[in-house]
Amino acid sequence: MTRLKYLRRTALLGLAAIIGALALVACSDDAQQQQVADAGDVPSATLAAVEERGELLCGVKQTQPLFGFREEDGSVVGFDIEFCKAIAAAVGDDIDVRYIDASDAATRFTLLASAQIDVLIRTTTITASRDADLKVDFAQTTFFTGQGFAVHADSGISSTADMNGATICVQTGTTTEQNLADHFTDLGYSYTPLGGTSPEIQEAFLQRRCDVFTADQSDLASRVSNFDNPANYRVLGQIISKEPLAPGVRDNDSEWKDVVNWVVHGLIAAEEMGITSGNVGAMAANPPNTTVARLLGVAFEGGEVANLGFGVDPQFIQRAIAAVGNYGEIYARTVGDAVPRACTLNALAIDDSVDCPAGTGGIQYAMPYR
Amino acid sequence: MAITERPSSLPPAAPTPPWHRRSVRNQLFQGAYLIATALVIVYVINALNLREFGFGFLGDPAGFAVPNQWLIDYDGVTNSRFVMYLVAIWASIRVMLVAIAFATIIGVLVGVARLSSNWLLARMAMLFVEIFRNTPLLVQIVLWYAILIVAIPPIGEVFNIGNAYYLSNRGIAIPWPVPDPGWWNAANWLVWVWVALLAAAGGAAWWVRRGRIARERDTGQPHYPNRWAFSLFAVAALVTFIALGAPVSIDKPIIEGTHYLEGMIITPEFAALVLGLSAYTASFIAEIVRAGIQALPTGQSEAANAIGLTGYQRLTVIILPQALRQIIPSITNQYLNINKNSSLASAVLFADLFFVAGVFQNKTGRALEMFVLIIVTYMLISLLISAVMNVINARVTTHRV
Amino acid sequence: MAELPQPAEARPPGRVVLPPHRERARRPFADRARDWARHNLFPSRGGTLLTLISFALLVLLLCGVIWYVFFGADWSVVSSNRWLLFAGSFPRDEEWRLWVGVAVVFFMIGVAYGLWSRFNRRDLLFVAIASAFLIFLMAHGGAAAWSSIWFLVALALMFGGYVVAVRIPRDNSRLRVRANRIGIALIALALPIVLLILMVGGGAVSTDFDGFVLNVILAPVGIVGGLVVAIPLAIGRASSLRIISWTCTAYIELVRGAPLLGWLFVALFILDDVIGGSLVVRTMVVLAVFTGAYMAEYIRGGLQALHHGQDEAARAVGLSRRQTLQLIIMPQALRVSIPPLVGQAISIWKDTSLVSVILPMRELKGNADSAIAQTEFIADRIEAYVFVAVIFWIVAFTMSRISQRVERAQGVGER
Repeated sequence: MTRLKYLRRTALLGLAAIIGALALVACSDDAQQQQVADAGDVPSATLAAVEERGELLCGVKQTQPLFGFREEDGSVVGFDIEFCKAIAAAVGDDIDVRYIDASDAATRFTLLASAQIDVLIRTTTITASRDADLKVDFAQTTFFTGQGFAVHADSGISSTADMNGATICVQTGTTTEQNLADHFTDLGYSYTPLGGTSPEIQEAFLQRRCDVFTADQSDLASRVSNFDNPANYRVLGQIISKEPLAPGVRDNDSEWKDVVNWVVHGLIAAEEMGITSGNVGAMAANPPNTTVARLLGVAFEGGEVANLGFGVDPQFIQRAIAAVGNYGEIYARTVGDAVPRACTLNALAIDDSVDCPAGTGGIQYAMPYR
Repeated sequence: MAITERPSSLPPAAPTPPWHRRSVRNQLFQGAYLIATALVIVYVINALNLREFGFGFLGDPAGFAVPNQWLIDYDGVTNSRFVMYLVAIWASIRVMLVAIAFATIIGVLVGVARLSSNWLLARMAMLFVEIFRNTPLLVQIVLWYAILIVAIPPIGEVFNIGNAYYLSNRGIAIPWPVPDPGWWNAANWLVWVWVALLAAAGGAAWWVRRGRIARERDTGQPHYPNRWAFSLFAVAALVTFIALGAPVSIDKPIIEGTHYLEGMIITPEFAALVLGLSAYTASFIAEIVRAGIQALPTGQSEAANAIGLTGYQRLTVIILPQALRQIIPSITNQYLNINKNSSLASAVLFADLFFVAGVFQNKTGRALEMFVLIIVTYMLISLLISAVMNVINARVTTHRV
Repeated sequence: MAELPQPAEARPPGRVVLPPHRERARRPFADRARDWARHNLFPSRGGTLLTLISFALLVLLLCGVIWYVFFGADWSVVSSNRWLLFAGSFPRDEEWRLWVGVAVVFFMIGVAYGLWSRFNRRDLLFVAIASAFLIFLMAHGGAAAWSSIWFLVALALMFGGYVVAVRIPRDNSRLRVRANRIGIALIALALPIVLLILMVGGGAVSTDFDGFVLNVILAPVGIVGGLVVAIPLAIGRASSLRIISWTCTAYIELVRGAPLLGWLFVALFILDDVIGGSLVVRTMVVLAVFTGAYMAEYIRGGLQALHHGQDEAARAVGLSRRQTLQLIIMPQALRVSIPPLVGQAISIWKDTSLVSVILPMRELKGNADSAIAQTEFIADRIEAYVFVAVIFWIVAFTMSRISQRVERAQGVGER
């Protein structure tokens, strides 16, 4: 009888243990989750949730060199990551960023729609169908690029005209995939697609499993520059689509979208105005003109502080700049080495410097902050 | 005074209240359970917000392409998502069929080898089982794929065997029979002649088989009814086929530029998936076969030795047929696992149904619909496998001793 | 014939004739080795051929593996990414919590072994090789030498626990009974204790669990949670009440009908609307529900294997239905179904590798993918995946060995 009683007690203990474990995990996340559930019901729900939580849930890619990948110590770095930090800093000094893995292109929008992330910054192209079907709104473009092709230098392929029957590596669940299908239908060519996640298709391309690797031009350029022998590969000049990459936020939360949007504009404007992470403190203490003062949310020569009322305090762009620097700094720090941009006034070669500020050969154009 | 008279103070025995009866209580309990279940279901449906639920989006163009492995021509731009889903189901089924065949063969061989009296062979079989059983299938598959595309030379350095067989990391290309498109149509009377001849041959084979079974029963000597019937049918089919002009051509693969044309091409993605699934499942089947054999009384083996059967005969005539009865239900489970595990295909760039469903989900945001579709598809395939295995099981367990 | 004991007159003086098998053991080693080889390796012409082929295959494999491990492979992708693979985004300054957790788990393993089994030579060899491998990995490059010290402390605790536990006499004394209870309680509470260590007082939050740590946390929840789900399901399916039996059957078949990837899809997209909560919790729920359906089938198998006399006898001595189930049927059914249940446990351990295929959580295999996305390790896929496979294998193999011990100790399979 003791043995049986003891069996029963063990079973109860096991049950208690498992419930305890679940409760423990659940409780620790309580603060993180309670606000998210209501997101979308009331204006600025996301912003309130981020502030309440003290954390920005940023959906990022973790497997793409330069844009979002992981260092050996487990940290996440890259171009997109800097914008996560900027947005977090803009919401408040004490807001941390928590990176949620959205590497899988196939599930990223559902992560956003189901409020498991606050913002999706993951080399995501703005398209109409995504805006319509996938409950996503896009903020200002952070990176302009187009769909290009990389080939092995000895393959003799110089444009899509040489690609009839080719095997083409393409990332699934992307706009690239659809552009490719459309483009080849227009050409009347056949091709064999080899679709998957970017690390796998990159390996397939390197091993010549496929003839062509298609992705965003910037992505290709960065990858090729990091291959063992970059001279063996060539990124074709041909671009078959426009791929503006932008942060995505949930539909119908315009106040949150405004914050994200104006942080991006603000960082671009900061580059135009010459405000950097180094001099932002000095600029804020002593703004050279009213435009800078307004952007940084400080008073100009004893005047009033302009509060445009984004639900965050007027210094939000100043904090973002202090945290990550202006757009040019972010660019130089992350993708600059691999995809150099030559921002010169009146530059003509628009495709090399498309991400330069407008007026220096690019189309990165900050809307007036006033 | 009558002793039998009841004391008047006691009330007459009340009938048992209905809720004390077991059957009533069971009904009540089940009713309560049903209501609770219904409430949960209602809550879930309510929470899921099914206002937009529907499968109309499957009729839209797919908007992307997958490697064409189907019997029909299709492309992702003009064909609907539904057609592409069918293409993907066919891709999955091909993988399953090949993996089931390989896993069974390897599994039975390894399982028998584990019980071999040859020490080295038994140990190596054990090593096989322990390695493949204790590592995740996903890791095995990606490892196979990584090895395959690195180890096999690119198409520029293709292994060419007699201009008919090629091996490169674009895949293995082998000659493959292709039906003559002009011949095979219902309007051609020769087709019907051939069908009629086949039917006749089938009838003859069946008649021969019956006669031989009868003779076997009468004489006690083996007359190989199945072998005779099958050979007869095969020979008749082949002869009539050739006599009617053999409307099938063997397509030899050729290389044009960097890709194969014609022939049958086994891609490394397919190969990695099949290798992973078969090796992993074979390690389980090996254990099932071993347990099935060990469960037989040793007398069976000893008796077989005593009547002078060779080791091979002992295995194929005495041991395996008996062990099968215990083995088949467990093996069926493994086949069902192959069905489900084939969903890992996307890890090696193979476009199976799960992969395609994931892309649809990404493009349309219809998570619930795609999930329902996935579950229904896998269940249908599972049912199909179970049905086939049930037939086999019935054959094996009722036929003879 | 040579093995037969020699006739008495030929026997050297003072030598006692033993039974044949003992006599064989007394013969010179070389003779015995030769006989053994003739018996087990070269019994016939065909057998010899088989041995030679196997031997050639083995040598080829071994040479290949050795060449690959020591010359062909570049293991820097693993050694540089040790932390990423092990714990990933777990807060670095809370690392001590991980090691305390490891120490606790090792201590429990030691106690369990001491209580219910013994380390034999093979176990020790396995522990030694696995530890050497891990210490080499940790100490390699010298960057994290102190983590191998932590590991050694954990090992020492394991043996400490073992030495204490193995002293307890294996009888029916009160000490023994109490020790058994403490041991079981320790194991049942292992997961909450470890989670407490990791999380309480400003430690990690659930989204910090990453890499190998995530696998180690998810698998036990799936296993224990699966059992908790499975027992009522199995009873329900075997119930004579039709509605209950039908719904349980439907549930089991539904869950078993679709792949785990499909159910993880549910955790990500659909469960969010139904139960909410954090993704880690939803994943745990899905793992438990998924495993539960499989385990229910195994337990049902155990129930069916019981002789109906058990039930009848229990009812005859006046036990209620509930008591019969709880005291007579379930303990026996569970014992019978231990082997397949352990198989399912190992299976769920391996299946934790599927988590990062769909979910925005990255376990060991997912972090290996991240490691090979680093530009300097693009070419080292095979190395990274081989390492992942080895780590999964070590744990799965350990689980299967421990379960074999438990089965033997519990007399599973004996009647």
